[in-house]
Amino acid sequence: MNNYILELVGLHKSFGDIEVLKDFNLNIVEGEKVVIIGPSGSGKSTVLRCVNYLEPIQSGSIFFQRKNMWSKSDLQRLRMNIGMVFQRFNLFPHMTVLENVMEAPVMVKKIARQEASELALSLLERVGLAEKKDSYPKELSGGQQQRVAIARALAMKPKIMLFDEPTSALDPELVEEVLLVMKELAHEGMTMIVVTHEMDFAREVGDRVLFMDKGQIIEEGTPHAIFNLPRQERTISFLRRISHRAFC
Amino acid sequence: MELDYSIVLGKMPLLLEGCLVTLQVSTVALLFGMILGVIGALCRLSNNPILKTAAFFYVWIIRGTPFLVQLFILYFGLPQLGIRLDSMMAGILGLALNTGAYITEIIRSGIQAVDKGQAEAAVSLGMSYGLAMRRIIGPQAVKICIPPLVNQFIMTLKNSSITSLVTITELVRSGDQIISTTFRSFEVYTAVALLYLVLNSIFMVIAGRLEKRTARQ
Ligand SMILES: Nc1ncnc2c1ncn2[C@@H]1O[C@H](COP(=O)(O)OP(=O)(O)OP(=O)(O)O)[C@@H](O)[C@H]1O
Ligand SMILES: [Mg+2]
Repeated sequence: MNNYILELVGLHKSFGDIEVLKDFNLNIVEGEKVVIIGPSGSGKSTVLRCVNYLEPIQSGSIFFQRKNMWSKSDLQRLRMNIGMVFQRFNLFPHMTVLENVMEAPVMVKKIARQEASELALSLLERVGLAEKKDSYPKELSGGQQQRVAIARALAMKPKIMLFDEPTSALDPELVEEVLLVMKELAHEGMTMIVVTHEMDFAREVGDRVLFMDKGQIIEEGTPHAIFNLPRQERTISFLRRISHRAFC
Repeated sequence: MELDYSIVLGKMPLLLEGCLVTLQVSTVALLFGMILGVIGALCRLSNNPILKTAAFFYVWIIRGTPFLVQLFILYFGLPQLGIRLDSMMAGILGLALNTGAYITEIIRSGIQAVDKGQAEAAVSLGMSYGLAMRRIIGPQAVKICIPPLVNQFIMTLKNSSITSLVTITELVRSGDQIISTTFRSFEVYTAVALLYLVLNSIFMVIAGRLEKRTARQ
């Protein structure tokens, strides 16, 4: 028996006539950190969005803790166990920072407000924003908003965290504070799938890097293998392109 | 002929009674119109093809035909099919159906104007569609809807004057009745206009306060 926490088996996803994922397979063990890289439009976001059914798939199966997730109640359980962090934060603008973090525990898990508020405060403490608890999202910088979004996802005590380019909407000087929170999370043993082009982050925390192109995994391996010894032509040219951009 | 507003002042109780009826017709119609509008908007946005189509046709028919004709169908037309509504019923029902269609569109576009990412964030935290609507999308849509809704409320209050043509003695018809005995059209109609202005102004002030309150977030 395997010890995969998440298994994606033969996922097919199309938007109309365009096939975005073609027989996509990915197995993840508990505590593993997988980094996905690839050119724009290659389907990286789509993979993450299919994992918690933000996008319906045409065929294939998703197993969470070896259980096939397909019924409506499974879906909710799946989503409660999978935290998602978006490129554009998507904080709830009509709620304070504290309310943002408390919302799902109170409304979905039915945890008492007092308890939820203590949980939320401790999470805000962890991402270094306890003193901002009564601010509204628009009063925060992008980096702060993203850290709140991470705290909000963690409040559901997920088993897996998905990050979709969490730092690419941020000003360069705000990237590090978010990566720092993510690194801490990684060191605490969280299972993570991260779509990012932050190579240093991938090298430091990634157990495995996947290079995707046109809806498929072209090449995968340790960060060292992918970044230093890529074998596929497409991987090589992609890495060349993004490293150029980094030096410009 | 000289203008003489003392006649109007003498008939003020009658005009105020008309005001009261106008307010009654408008507020009851708006209440039901809001309920219709919320239901209509949710139907328009639902995945159920029957609900979606029904709501589409409702809006299409109401917006594409004159309010006066709708009222006449309800009040003068339906009796032919054996359905007899008294004038108050027909007036309020007509006004509610009419304003409900416009409110449907206001709420629908308000909900659609909320960033898609909000629903995705809510759902990915384990919220159901209903919960996400109630806690996340709804409150944000309300804020977007307030200005067009205020506009629609004002339109409805003014449109209630048309119910005078199905013999509801609201403000305009009260005025007509006063004119029929005093022959003072100018004084009476300007007084009627002033009363509408007062009613709508109260409304706008309340709405303005509400808008300021929700603007903080
Ligand atoms: N809602 C949608 N409707 C139609 N096509 C879509 C939709 N979402 C994504 N696509 C298409 O699916 C493909 C994969 O998109 P996806 O967002 O997964 O790419 P990505 O690898 O995340 O790219 P990026 O680096 O730009 O974020 C693209 O060709 C995109 O145009
Ligand atoms: Mg993407």
